[in-house]
Parts: sequence; C-alpha cells; structure tokens
Amino acid sequence: MTVSNEMEKAIIESVLQELSKRGVNPAAAVEEKVKNVVTQEKTSSEVSDEIIDMPDITKHWIPEPANEEALEAMKKSTNARIGLYRAGTRQKTDSLIRFLADHAVARDAVFMDVSDEFLQKMNLFGVSCVAADKEEFLTKPNLGMKLSDEAVQTIKEKCESNIQVQIVIVDGLSSTAIERNIPDILPALTQGLKAAGIKVGTPFFVKNGRVRVMDQIGMLLNAEVVLELVGERPGLGTAESMSAYLIYKPSEKTVEADRTMISNIHRRGTPPAEAGAQIVDLVKQMLDKKASGIKLNKA
Amino acid sequence: MIHIGEAGHQKIISVGIDIGTTTTQLVMSRLTIKNSSPGAVIPKMDITDKEILYRSNIHITPINEHLLIDAHQVKKIIEAEYKLAGVKKEAVETGAVIITGETAKKGNAKNILEATAGFAGDFVVATAGVNLESILAGKGSGAAKYSKENHKIVANIDVGGGTSNIGVFKGGRTLDTACINIGGHLIELEKHSDKITYISDPARLVINDMGLQLGVGERVTQSQLIQISKKMAEAILETITKRKVAGLAQQLMMTPPLKEDYKIEKVMISGGVADYVYSDYRPVSVTDITKYGDMGPILGWAIQEAFKKEGIQLAKPAETIRATVIGAGIHSLEISGSTIHVNSGTLPLRNITVISPFPEGVPEKAADIAKLLKNQVDRITVQDITEQNLAIALKEPYDMSFNSVNELAHGIFEAMEEYITQKKPLIIVIEADCGKVLGQCLSIIAKASNELICIDQIQVDEGDYIDIGKPVMGGRVVPVVVKTLVFEKAK
Repeated sequence: MTVSNEMEKAIIESVLQELSKRGVNPAAAVEEKVKNVVTQEKTSSEVSDEIIDMPDITKHWIPEPANEEALEAMKKSTNARIGLYRAGTRQKTDSLIRFLADHAVARDAVFMDVSDEFLQKMNLFGVSCVAADKEEFLTKPNLGMKLSDEAVQTIKEKCESNIQVQIVIVDGLSSTAIERNIPDILPALTQGLKAAGIKVGTPFFVKNGRVRVMDQIGMLLNAEVVLELVGERPGLGTAESMSAYLIYKPSEKTVEADRTMISNIHRRGTPPAEAGAQIVDLVKQMLDKKASGIKLNKA
Repeated sequence: MIHIGEAGHQKIISVGIDIGTTTTQLVMSRLTIKNSSPGAVIPKMDITDKEILYRSNIHITPINEHLLIDAHQVKKIIEAEYKLAGVKKEAVETGAVIITGETAKKGNAKNILEATAGFAGDFVVATAGVNLESILAGKGSGAAKYSKENHKIVANIDVGGGTSNIGVFKGGRTLDTACINIGGHLIELEKHSDKITYISDPARLVINDMGLQLGVGERVTQSQLIQISKKMAEAILETITKRKVAGLAQQLMMTPPLKEDYKIEKVMISGGVADYVYSDYRPVSVTDITKYGDMGPILGWAIQEAFKKEGIQLAKPAETIRATVIGAGIHSLEISGSTIHVNSGTLPLRNITVISPFPEGVPEKAADIAKLLKNQVDRITVQDITEQNLAIALKEPYDMSFNSVNELAHGIFEAMEEYITQKKPLIIVIEADCGKVLGQCLSIIAKASNELICIDQIQVDEGDYIDIGKPVMGGRVVPVVVKTLVFEKAK
C-alpha cells in the first residue's frame, strides 16, 4: 500500500471507532466502500497501455507569425526546440511535457537492458562485463572494459578465432539504440562483408560493456579487425543513436587514436542500413592498409 | 581519400561559356568541394566555395549573316580568352557551354556546341534551352540566393539581346520558368544614327501591333523608339503581373506563361539591359540611344518606368550582363552523396534520360516494384531513345529498413534484366540517404555483371537529363549536372 493509502486507512479506522463509540455502526457498508477505494487506487497506479500523443515540437507554435516560410525554414534547420512560443516568461506546458517525456526516454535508454527476446530474435548470444549491476556499471566506467571470467569462457567456446572481422554488439549507454538499429545494420554488414569474401566471426552481445571491451575481445580471438556497435549517450534529440568503433589488431598498447569511429547512426541521422554499407567499405580499407584510426588516415 | 573527421578538400576549375543573341563571353571559376560533416559522422561532400577567377571581355557574337553563327570565329574568341586567362583547356574539369536567346534558333547551334565542347575539359555540359537559361540566369544574378536568405518568392527577369528569361525562385529552388521573345537587340540600327538596319520577326510583331510603318533602311524618331520600347516593357511586365497573357504578349511568349498558384514578392532584373534598368539613364536623343547599334538603353529605361508605374520595387542583382554565364559556370554543378560504381572507366556519361517510375512512392514488394518500373522502361524504349542511357530516379524506398532496400534492389533488377543485356550501365539516382546500401544489394543481385552507378542525395525529375562526371574527392562522390531540356524547340 502507498503512504496515502496507509493514512486513509488510519483516518477511516479512527472515524469508524469514533462512530461505534457513538453507537453508529455502518461498519459493513463503510468497509465495502473502503475496500473499493483502496482497490481503485491500486489499479489506477498500474501502468496504462493507453497511447498518448506527445506535443509536436517539429512545428512552430507562434500565433500570427510575420513570416511563416522563414519560421518553417528555421525549424527545419535544427533539432533545437525553437519557435515554441511562451506562457508569460516561461515555456508552455506542452513544451515542458515534451521535455519530460524525452528525458524519460533518454533515462530508459540508459537504465534498461537489451531484452532477451531481442537477442533471441537476432540470434545473438549474450555475455557480461564484470560490473555487478547497472548502477555499478554507470558509476565505475573502467569495469565496462573487462569481460567476466564466465564471458571469456563462453566466447572461447562459441566463437571462431583467427578471423578477419569480429562483430561485437555492446549496450553501452543506450540499450534502445541497440534494439532499434541492429536489425537493419547487421544484415547490411554481413551481406557486404560476405560478398567481399571477408571471413566474419560469430557476432555476439556484451551487457554492461563500454567501448574498450573490444580490445580484450580482439586479443582473445586474434581478430584482425574488431567492429563494435555501441549505444551512444542519449540526449533530448534522440535516445537511439549508435556508434561504430573499428580497430585493427588491438593490443595492450592500443590508444583511442587507434580507433576509427562513425557516430550518429540512427533513423534520423545516418540510417543504419546505409551506415552498414559504409562500414563495409571502411573494413575493406582497414584490411588492405592494415591500420585503423589516425594511422589509417595517414596510410 | 577523405576519411571520417578529415577536413580535406578538392578544388576544381569550372568554366561557363555563353553564346548569346548579342554577346559571347566566358567566366572561369574555382569550386571548392569539402567534407561538410562534423566530427565522426559519415563524410558528406558539398561545394562550399565558388570563386570567380576570370571574367572575359564581352564579345559581339560573330555571325556571318542573320542565319548562321560563325563557328570558326567563336572558337578563336574562346581560345584568345583562355590565353588571356592563363588557363590551359586541360586544366578545366567541369563547366557549361550554353547557346542562348535568338542564337539558339539559328540553324547550326548544335555544331557550335560540339565544336566548343571539345574545348573545355572532360566534362562540360553543352546545352541550349530557354527554361535552363532562366534557371541559370536566376542563380547567377543572385535571385535564387535572395529567395533563400530572405524567405521570399523572387522572380528574376534576364533581359538579353533577343529574349527575356524569367525564373521564379523559392527557398533557393526553382519554382517556375518562362520566356518571352523580347530583348534589346531585336531592332538593329546604325550606331549613333536613326537608320534601321534590321528588324527581327518579334520586333515586326510589335511594330505591326502598334500600327507603325517602319522598315529596314528607314529612319526612326525618338518618339517612335520610346513607344516601341514602352510596348515591349509592358509585355514583359504582363508576364509577371497578368501571368495568363493575351494579345501581343501572348504572341511573343516562347513558353507557356508562368503558373498562377503563387505570389511573386520580389522582382530582379538581370542581363545586359539591366545595367540601364538600375541607372539614371534617360533617353535624350536618337543618336545617344543607338550608341550600341540597338535598343538596349531605351528598353532598359522603359522597363524601369513600367515597373515603377506598377508600384513594383526592383531588387538589385549581384550580376547583370554576366548572370547567365556565371550561372552556367558556377551554379550548374551538384555533388552526389555516396556512390558505388563498378567501372570508373564508364564515366563521364552525358545526356542520361531520367525516368521517375514511382510518383506515388515505391511499393513494398519487389514484384510490384518491377511491374511499375518495367512499364516505364518499355514506354521509353518505344519512343526510340534506345541510344541513350537511362537513369531511374526515386525519392526513397518503401521505408529505410534493410529489408525494404533489398526488396527495392530485387525489384529494380527484375525489371531491368533486359536493359542490362544491352550492356548499358544501370544508373539509379535516389534522394534518400541509402545509395551505398542500395548499390551493395544491387551489385550482389546482379552479380556485378554490369556497370552500376548508384548515387544519392540528388533530386531529379521525370524529363530531366543529367550528366555524371568522373569521381572527385578520392572516388567518394561524383559531380552531377541536371539539365532541364536539351535543344528545346521554339514555340
């Protein structure tokens, strides 16, 4: 029971006591009514499946604008929340509601896990890094680069070694990004790499992982190129943006400048299927030049 | 090779050559192509800078009689200007040669283009057409830019020697075009004299409409010149204000009139005559008016008067006489998004016919896609354009999922199987950002058996013709010129 329920119960009980003291005894009727109220409270605090329309911030909200065309052009030029008018000196309630909603989506992306159903559907086995839970993962970033002992075992058992490309999917800071983008980028990648005659290992998923887990995996499987798809830190603009990090033959000496990165992969950025085809090209270059990151640019 | 996050750029020399009714001139410029994507985003190439390097002298278009252009002389003019500019023709990578105005009607216009096209590099658009002229003039004069920066619908009227080309722009894009057969050179006179040496057919229409009796060899008075120029100016004004013109104006129209479903908020005049529209010039005497041997100055004055009387305030153009040639040299080029092609030896390709088989959008299933596409292709082949290459233009796949792109690829291949057997390249031009993955799917389905050019982020329509140039920026992108019409027939 919630706190308010407790209080109500206490109040009603004391009223009933008082009433019975005075000789009034509506006990049964009142009991029924209290039960009803309490059960109503309970159901209304459950999450509803009703779909709510969020306020549309893609249009401007300015009444009687001097130049409608100019406003439309300005709105098209940015994702920033401009042209949403005001209520006195503050933002409009719809604007606040939308902000809260987008913030909630961003928080969910960080705190939720990639579902087991999703992994099954995509035919990916899952392993974990050493962080005990999401909170530890978020507060101790270094734990995200280390696979658990169990993970190391599983990977050794299920994956091919000495392959040219190892694809790793990591939740990182957005599980939503993984669930939204992987279904379109993965087939584009596997189709393109296969057509180019490149030997691709068994893709898998890493939970509570950060970018640098790709280094340990690369060394473990002796892969030439590790391609990691990881969820980016969400924002108010989008919570489903994903990055691709690529590295050629990672080692203990690997630094960040050795990685090539493609960011902003999502349906409103670089579409995932297209990003997949672009990455195929990038992989071919890396295998050819035997380099990644700054070294590839200079090659 | 431009990599993610790299700021690299490439500069190419572009030339514009305009062979018009009265004048022939060229402009050389340097276009900078740069990666305009920030940070770790997939590179996107854009033309970021357009620098004019050299403006040629303005030559009188050499004609041996009023029937044929002197091709030999034109070539000499161009050669001389290249020498003055200090630019070798091998250094020029792109550009446009256009024949405009009355000159386009002359019998050997096509020969001229072929003679000069061989001149300027690997990839030069050679075309004539009044609609394209209107667009290029409006881009060169700054009208298109004005419409984008000020969020107004702008009409640019390029008044040249023989024609007035009207281009209407909204948000930087072309909304509408039209052309009327009025220009400063329609009546030729002896310089600084009142004797008429030539009356063109359109000028004859004007004179007859006014009931004047004037012929070649006769003398004309200032008052008559004022009347004629006023009539001409009014006809130009009517194309903007009345839209659906009648009477004399209608007889002089070379294209259908402007559409009526928008409001013109600003008017700009460019072209050689524009110098007189925006000046304090007043006709003083016939000998003064005819200093160039034509009606240019007085027509300019009459246009200024006519628009002032109507209460239309004219915007000042960035370029007047050079508007069209600058448009041709600088603004005719676009850069594609990502590309994939099997054999780079195939490029450049010219005069590719564009078909747009999915006006209502691309269907979901490959079979339906194939059916729609095959219908269109069969129709085109019946029209006997079998010599030319085809480009399939579309906006976007059914949706941006990998499955839909793959379905689209299957549908296209199914419909184009026969076309491919003719050893012609398969060319796809798509607006959405999926050129690379679509090309990947297609090349796998077609088993790389044919040349494949798949470019994205270019907008073309049914009836357009395009040229595709050799790749730039390390093979990432190709330059594309979208031409509206080739050798449009005069009305």
